Amino acid sequence: MNKAEGPAAAPRGLGRLWRRGADGRQLLSNAEGMAYWLAVAPVISHLPARLAYRVACGRGDWIYRNWDAKREEIKLNLRRVLGDLGPAETERLTRDFFRFASCEVIDVMRLRGRARALGELVDIRGREHLDAALAQGKGVILCSAHFGSHLCVSSLLHADGYPLTTIGRWRWRYDDGTAAMEGKFWDFVHARRVLRHRARPNIEPWPGRIQVAAQAAAALRANEVVTICSDTEPLEADRPRAVEVPFMGKPATLLPGTVTLAKLTGAPVLMSFTHRTDDYRHQVLEISPPVPMQGDTVTAFGRCVSAMEDAIRAHPANWFYWYSAAALATMGVISEAATPADVTPEPHLAVPVTMLADPDARP
Amino acid sequence: MEAIINDYISKEVVQDPSLLPLANDTSLLETGILDSLSLLKLVLFVQERFGTAVDDVDIVPENFDSVDAICVYLRSRAREGADQAAGRE
Repeated sequence: MNKAEGPAAAPRGLGRLWRRGADGRQLLSNAEGMAYWLAVAPVISHLPARLAYRVACGRGDWIYRNWDAKREEIKLNLRRVLGDLGPAETERLTRDFFRFASCEVIDVMRLRGRARALGELVDIRGREHLDAALAQGKGVILCSAHFGSHLCVSSLLHADGYPLTTIGRWRWRYDDGTAAMEGKFWDFVHARRVLRHRARPNIEPWPGRIQVAAQAAAALRANEVVTICSDTEPLEADRPRAVEVPFMGKPATLLPGTVTLAKLTGAPVLMSFTHRTDDYRHQVLEISPPVPMQGDTVTAFGRCVSAMEDAIRAHPANWFYWYSAAALATMGVISEAATPADVTPEPHLAVPVTMLADPDARP
Repeated sequence: MEAIINDYISKEVVQDPSLLPLANDTSLLETGILDSLSLLKLVLFVQERFGTAVDDVDIVPENFDSVDAICVYLRSRAREGADQAAGRE
């Protein structure tokens, strides 16, 4: 299933409807996404893992074949950032991107109960680093990227007894372009399942929410784990606080809040990355020893960013941001976002197509 | 108290020199002087400098929008602390 495959085949069946135009595509995408989240994934997540994730990969392949604009945008982003990988490798990574996105929905469903259904598929490495850091009594900042099934897998830490809170944004709760019903949909299918495995509500760093860092500090003071993704493209309002650091071969503009918070609270920063293995159902969570915080903020943050880059280069298909040239351009990883694919209108509810952890965390 | 807090914010928080000198009634939020992380830094400072614990629920714009507002808040916290101590006696 994971072998490299050739160019996308001609559309068949529902794929033909998809290609009838923007309206038909939007309708089909919305219906498919809703059906997958509401009915298909909850049911198949109860099947043996091998079968459940095979079905998810099949859905990912269907989307890969039929969502031309996004597929080509991802391929282009891969080439622009990683260089010429060759057609077969680019195809494989792009296909895996869509497969992983579909598989992540199954991960969300397997968080039911005490999340054992997901936990049995995840190998957590470096737990000793987390235990040692928590023994200092200042909490722990788990710094990651929008990489792999990070929201679901970090839920396993909470289920294992590590009180955990996420700094991240549930975008649909703030985006004026999101219909109320759509927001309720995401709350129902996604947020409620993830938040069951959190010590506190999400800490949401939107402009004007001045209490965010204090809320994170309160969790750290209680010797809890706070997760944050440091690869987020800065919002316009946040740009004055952003710093320039080398990332994916470019001087990128990112927010060093992780390091600032660590320096203010004394909490150690551990890097954590989750990647999916070749069988698509098993995952590995790797937790690093504490990142040295010596030096100024930019220097210390550069170490975190370097670790993010290493993880992305080791398992490229797991990185969310291939999805958006605009976001890559905003953070400075590519020079500009303007490509024909970028301006292709996207159906709003098509987000579940890639779902990923997207609706959430962009700290 | 106003002078100490004003001095701290002017030296440690303000990044745009055109905003100096800082008036005690200048909005720290509307001018973008304070964001979430710099507010945390300020809270840690006042806790250490004045020995006043700042509750997480009190970290709202009304209490931290200006040097004046911060001092009003800190004095009210100090009064509450004194009242509670008197009550215990």
